[in-house]
Parts: sequence; C-alpha cells; structure tokens
Amino acid sequence: MIRRLIGVSRIDPLVLVSALALSMLGVLFIGSATIGTKFEGLAGRQAIFIAIGLVAMTAAILFDYRMLLKFSFAIYCVCLVPLVYLLVFGESIANVRSWIRFGKFQFQPAELSKIGTALLLAYLFENEDETRMRTATLVRIGAIVGIPVLLVFLQPDMGLALTFLPLIFVGLFFGGLPAKGWLAILVVVAVLAGGGWFVLKDYQKARIGTFLNPDSDVLGSGYQVRQSKIAVGSGGFSGKGFRSGTQSQLRFLPVQHTDFILAVIAEEWGFLGVILVLGLFATLILRSLKLAQTARDRGGMFLVLGLTAMIFFSVVINASMMIGLAPTTGIPLPLVSYGGSSVATTLLGIGLILGVQYRRFANA
Amino acid sequence: MLRTREDRQVLVRRIEISRVGVGALLSLLAVAYWIIQIVRGDYFFNLSENNRIRAVKITAPRGYVLDRNGATLVENEPAYTLHLYRRESRNLDDSVRFIVGLLDLNPEVVKSRVERGKRAPEFVPIPIAENLSIEEVAAVEARAVEHPEFAITVSQRRQYIRGGSAAHALGYLSEATPEQIKASNNIYAVGDWIGQKGIEGWYERLLAGVNGERRVIVDSHGREVREDNRLEASPGQNLFLTLDSKLQEIAEDYFKDRVGAAVALDARTGEVLTLVSSPTYDPNWFTRRVTSAEWNALLENPDRPLQNRAIQNMYSPGSIIKPFFAYGALSLGLVDPDQKIFCPGHAEFYGREFHCHKKGGHGLVNLRDAIKMSCDVYFYTLGRKLGIDRIAEILGSFGFGNPSGVDISFEKSGLVPSEDWALKRRHARWYPSETISVSIGQGPLLVTPMQVARALAGLVEGGRIPTPHLFYASQAPGTNAPLRYTADASTALPITPEQLKIVKDGMWAVVNEPGGTAYGSRVAGFEMGGKTGTAQVIGRDATLRAGVDKSKFQDNAWFVGFGPVEDPQMVVVVFVENGGHGGLAAAPLAKMLFEARFVPPKPAPPGVQAAGPAGGLQTASSRGTR
Repeated sequence: MIRRLIGVSRIDPLVLVSALALSMLGVLFIGSATIGTKFEGLAGRQAIFIAIGLVAMTAAILFDYRMLLKFSFAIYCVCLVPLVYLLVFGESIANVRSWIRFGKFQFQPAELSKIGTALLLAYLFENEDETRMRTATLVRIGAIVGIPVLLVFLQPDMGLALTFLPLIFVGLFFGGLPAKGWLAILVVVAVLAGGGWFVLKDYQKARIGTFLNPDSDVLGSGYQVRQSKIAVGSGGFSGKGFRSGTQSQLRFLPVQHTDFILAVIAEEWGFLGVILVLGLFATLILRSLKLAQTARDRGGMFLVLGLTAMIFFSVVINASMMIGLAPTTGIPLPLVSYGGSSVATTLLGIGLILGVQYRRFANA
Repeated sequence: MLRTREDRQVLVRRIEISRVGVGALLSLLAVAYWIIQIVRGDYFFNLSENNRIRAVKITAPRGYVLDRNGATLVENEPAYTLHLYRRESRNLDDSVRFIVGLLDLNPEVVKSRVERGKRAPEFVPIPIAENLSIEEVAAVEARAVEHPEFAITVSQRRQYIRGGSAAHALGYLSEATPEQIKASNNIYAVGDWIGQKGIEGWYERLLAGVNGERRVIVDSHGREVREDNRLEASPGQNLFLTLDSKLQEIAEDYFKDRVGAAVALDARTGEVLTLVSSPTYDPNWFTRRVTSAEWNALLENPDRPLQNRAIQNMYSPGSIIKPFFAYGALSLGLVDPDQKIFCPGHAEFYGREFHCHKKGGHGLVNLRDAIKMSCDVYFYTLGRKLGIDRIAEILGSFGFGNPSGVDISFEKSGLVPSEDWALKRRHARWYPSETISVSIGQGPLLVTPMQVARALAGLVEGGRIPTPHLFYASQAPGTNAPLRYTADASTALPITPEQLKIVKDGMWAVVNEPGGTAYGSRVAGFEMGGKTGTAQVIGRDATLRAGVDKSKFQDNAWFVGFGPVEDPQMVVVVFVENGGHGGLAAAPLAKMLFEARFVPPKPAPPGVQAAGPAGGLQTASSRGTR
C-alpha cells in the first residue's frame, strides 16, 4: 500500500515526511537546549519559520519550476542585490553583516541566494549538454557560484560561503568534467588554500588551528570542540534523556540551539538519536537523488542535484564538526538547527525538489 | 527536454554513483559516532561528570580548649568575609567606589585585591575585606539589591578568650605553610588554618576534626545549580587542659612587668597547672591575617614574646641545682649528711680561688644547713668529690639534658656537661675547675624551667619522675571514647626515705627557718619547701664593659618550691630574667600559688572524669600527636 502510494503519488511522501520529521526534531531540541535561558521561546519562533517554509514549499510545488529556470538569471541577480546592499550599508551583528532586519525578525538574504544560484546553475545545464565539458562552461560555473560566495565571504561568513561550494561540485561532476580537469582544479585549490591563509581573519585561523590540534587551547577555540565531543560521547547508546543532558542543560555546550543542536540530540537521545537524525537525512537525500533521476529534463535534474548537494554538504560538515572531524565553521544542521532563514529556505528548496518530481511527466 | 537519450543515461548513472557515495559517507559518520558514543562512551561520560561536579570542602568546626575546671579558653566565633562576584558587577570601578565608601575601606588595598582577583576565573569570588563587624555586615546586606555583586560569607574564627593568657601553652593558628601541606599528604590546602606551637599545634589532628565535602552540580560558569551529595564534617574534639585558670591568672599577674617563666606541676602526675612565659603575645592576632610589617615588629621585639621561655630558653640554674646534687650524693653513698664542712667564705680548688655568696662564710655546715643557707663552699667540696661525670649521671637521671616530654613542640634539651661532651663538642678537655662552677649551677650547665619543674617533682616524690603534660581529657575522634593522658614516669636514682627526708628538710628550712634564703616567702599555715637560685648572666662582664643597659645583666632569679612538704602535691618553678636574688624576686610568686591552692585547703578540682571502662581508654599521646 505504502509502496503503491510512493509509486504513484505526485508528491514524494518519503522526502516530505523526513523533512517534516527533522523540522519537528529541531523544534523539540531547540526547546530542550534553550529552556531556562535567555533564548527560551526560540522553539516557538522556529515553528513559525517552519510554517512560513511550508507555505513557500507549497508554492514551490505548485509553481512550474520551468518558469523559474527561464527567469533564473533575473532571480539570481535579484538575490545578489541584498548581498551587495549588506556589504555597503549592512548593520554589523556579532561582527558579521549577514542580516537584514524586518521589525522583530531578521533575515539572512544569503540563504535565499543559495536557491537563486542553484536555479541559474540548473538553467546553465538545461542547455549545456555536451558530453565533453567546454572550458567556457567551467568558467560560467565558477562565475555563477563564485560571485555569491565572494559576497558572503566578505560579510564575513565563511560557513555560509562554504555551503555554496557543493554547487560547483555538482556542476563539475554531473556536468562530466574529465580527469584532467579535476587535476587542474586540485592544483588551483591547493594554491588558493595557501593564499587563503593570508586572507582569513584571526579567529577563523584559530578555529582551523584548533581543528588540527583540539587540545592545544582547552578554554579557547578548542573548548567548543572539546565540550561538544564530551556531550556526544557521554550520551552513550540511548542518551541521558530528553532535557537531561548535563552538557547542554548546564551550558557547557556553545551555541547549542544553533550549530551544536546535534550534540544536544546526541547527548540526550544517545547513539539512537544520532541514527534517527542521520537516517532521516539519508532518506531525504537518497530519495531526492532518486527523484532527480526521474526528472523530465536536465534543468530539473540539476536543480534537484544542486539543492540536495547543499543539504548533504551541510549535514556532513555539521555532523563532523560535533565530533571534531571538521573545523567549527558555523555551518548549521539543515532543518534542525535554529535559524529562521535557513529552515525556511531549506523547506523552499525541498519544495522545489518536490516540484520537479510533481512535473516529471511531460504532459503534466 | 533532453536532446539525446544516451546523455540522460550517463547522468542517471552518475547520480547512482553519487547515491552510493552519499550512503557511504553517512555510514562512515554513523561509525564515527559509534566510536565516540559507544566505544569511548564511558570515557566521555566521566569527563561530563567531572565537568558538572565540583567538590566543595566543609570545614570541620575546630574543638574548643578548656581548662581543667571546664572554663573555656579557646572557642570559635563567626567571622564575616566580604566577597566580590565579578560576574554580578555591571562596572567594577563603580562597585569598588561603592564599597569603599560604605565601609570606609582603604581604596588602594581594595583596588589591588580586585586586580589580583582578576587573574582567577570569573566565577571565583574576590575577597575584599575580612572580619567585618555586625554593623558592616548589616550595611552590606541592606544594599544587596542594588549591589548583588557583594556577598558575605561566614566562617569560623579562632577566638582566644583571654587574649595573651597562657598563649605559650595554647599556641596559635596560622595558614598552613607549603611544607605543612606537603607533610600532611595534602589533607591541608593553601589557605587552610593549622595549629602552630602549643597544644594547637601538638593536638592539631584531634582539634581539627575531619573536613566534610559537598558535591555540587555546577554550570559552565561554575555557578552552583544544586547539591548532589554531602559528606558531613566530623567536628574536632574539645580538649580539656590540665591548666588551672586561677593559678594561671595569679602567675600572669605577677609577670605583668617581669620577664621570665613560671611552671607549676602536679608533683604526682606531671599535670601542668600553670605555664607562663613573659612577655606574652595575643594569639588572636594571627587569625586576623598578619602583614609582614606586623610580623617583623613581633619578631624583632628584643624581649621575644613568641619565645616560650618555659621550654625554649636555656638558663644557668644557679643554686636551685644544689638539692639535686645532695640527693645524688646521698643516693650514691658519697656523702655523710652529718659531716660538717667549714665555710670561711671562700676556698681554693685546683689552684683557683672560689667564693661563697656569703662573704664572711657560713662556718661549720652539714648537708641540711648547706641547702638551707645555699652554702657554696659545701657544694664546691661535694662537687669535687663527685666529679663531673658523676654529676652528669645524677643530672641525667633527673632528665636534665633531655626534653621534658611536655606536649608542646620546639622544646630545648638544655645542656649537661661531661668529660665526653667537652671532648666531642668543645674539642678541648674538661677542666676540673669547671666542675666546681657546675656544682653551684654555673658553668656550661643549662636547663629550662620545665626541666627543673619535672626534676623537682621527681626529687620530692623520691625518684619517680612524671612527664609534664597539658592534656587533661578529651574524647577519641570517631569512637568518642574518653581519652586521658598516659605517659610513663621515669625514675631517678634510688633513695631511702631517710635520705630523702634530709634533702626535703633542708628545703623546708630554706623557707621556714630564720636564716633560710626564702624565709620571707614562708606561707602561714602551710608547709612549703623550696630552694632559691641566683644565677649569673653569661657574658655579663664582657657586655657590661661594652656599656649596655645594666638592668639586662642583673642576675637571673630562680625559685623552686613544693608542698606540702610531708606529702608533696604541687611543685612550682619561678624564673625571673634579670630579677636579682631568687628569694626576693622569684619566691613570692611561689608563695602566692601555694596560698591560692592550699590555704584554705580546697577539695580536689572536679574537672572532667574519664567515664568509660578502663579498657576503653586510649593513650592521648598516640592518638593526638602528629
């Protein structure tokens, strides 16, 4: 029956349900992580943003994505405007010019520009279908992704800038870059990484330094990683119980309702909680990739691939961050971490994925 | 719209590869979490427990110290300390200004304390002022809403109720030194109070009790969230001393403007009834955190108040040593007590002229009269007959040359010279003429007042020498079984009652017969025996020539007394530095002490009786000492 439903449904239930479940988990653990702190009440706000995201998702499903692809260059440009505006007039919050205020709410335009960039990239590959990738295409990919990355990097929000990078990978891998090309890119990246060391802010360098040697600075940058590892590890198999994590409830965890929400889940629900979260993401991502295979056109395929890749990248980096396998770069766990712009745009993106599936038949 | 079918299949295959990659990466992540959460779960769980649990010490209340009649000598009183919690302060400068104004503190001191406190983590409160008065505490509490950064903590402070009274017996508390912390196997921590000197030092473990511990849950700021576990402290034991406050008071009064020491012992048990060293100091002073300037002032006081003259200063005994020689010579059968020696006021020994203190001489004197009148010529003669090594044997048997064993630290041994000592220590042979000086208590012979008291108790008790002690009664920690002091008595040379009677009779005559050197201090209605001593201050002549204050080189005055003569119960030793003649400067205090204790006779002091069965008794020395 379920198999049948999945087979014939025009909206894929696995993707939808796992996205909703992850959002609910987020609300639950944002509540646990903020109870009794000045952040209490953020779970409610998150729920509002989820609602907004669901509305956006519905709109994305109903609206023909092919129209969006057609106007993707305009959308892309519109998305870049606030990023430029922020760099020029932006208000600095916590040393970063990432937010635009709307009364009581703040919005991170960079999140939305991820969607715009994915759209333009998909539109590029709608028409770019040579078996061998042309150099011009390579340059175009670099420009489409590079511009917003540069603007976000200048805010400076390294974490958010990094979340654009999977789009380049999607372009190169699925676009069919030959082995020689990969080699060339590897060399370029190595050179850039060396040069980047001189561009990075001190605190960013410190984070990378502590990532390489977390015990070097127990009370400084290494503190976060260390406390997060303790939280995760001490959760054991089944956890200390909801709202009973000592690391989170006694505030040993840093920014626990945003970037470190998975550590809270790992501590309070243990390995089972982690498997639940990773399992839901696996369902969401693997199922989305499956949907990409059935898209009616290249544009739809690349749109799904780009959106899915960004989610996957964030999940892997964030989950690795918790246990010290990646530097703390400020990348949230999609759908689960607190953050209105992030959760709303992620739901919008999932809406687009579902929309591609919704219109998979040529006559739809 | 796809242009070639083939191309779509390539894309579909790439997606299929990517799905495998996604699955693999997520599985690897799951394995990593498995390792952290399951394989190393216990390790991280312990770390999280260490994170949240802090041990907070509960200081055990220190035992009180009482005299033999139960009068409190040392107790604890609440002490209020003002702390600044930096996290609660909006502006540290404002906070400092506020508290300086409120309590009239020295702004520089407060600022430097805050600066020093900033080095510690933020949650560690900074001590701002100690020993606040009740009024100051009230003033701070009244402004607590506006200034939550200030908090008062209550601790126990040692209170020596009678100030400097018996200070040298009691000792004092000070913060544990690094060496003491190390020696205690870290039972003590930096900032802990520990008993120094006196019974506070000797019975530290008994008085201190055992600290408890609270295990508290703290948040990442170190703030206490709640208590997890509590191990109560077991309080220190109250300690009853053998001191008799009435006698102690009389003796201290006598020494108000004198320098010296006095010791009164129960002749049979060695219980220390009185222990005075003058000048004294106020032990309360140490618990109020001493500045180094104050320390130096105390240390540089020429009269050295910290010095316990009863056990730490060694003096020439002068004539008070004579009865011990009489006893020894009788015991060894080397003197005929009835044989008279003619004293012309001087005599020649080994080619050197020695004077008697009485210029005209005492005429013919036997042993009894020689003691009574303190005839030097008689004892020169006796000393020559004994020789230095036999003198050393006699003095050694009375415990001279060794610490008395009283339960106070830093006791000196004194010095009993012998031929062996001269060779080993002085690297020169013993001159026989020195024996003549020693036989009247001069020369290299050095004693402490406590040693004299102990030896005297042994003498009047016919050779049974008790160990002086201040410990009277307490309870054993843990079992609360009654504790009494038990220490073995040692024995001096054996003596027959008849021989002992001669010595005691001579000492009786010192006080009670006209012509005795302490006749002026006889006690109406009470038989006190005694012996005076007037000892030359060593190096006196040389220093006099240097033109220093003459009063500092007056003879040291001694008096030793016991009574009642027939059945001695108490021995008293009075020593007055530069006091002059022993009969005039020292004996009057002995008279007052015997009068106070025996005239009119009072029933034996009730004190605290050891209750339980004899089997339950434990030795204080093994339990209470360090």
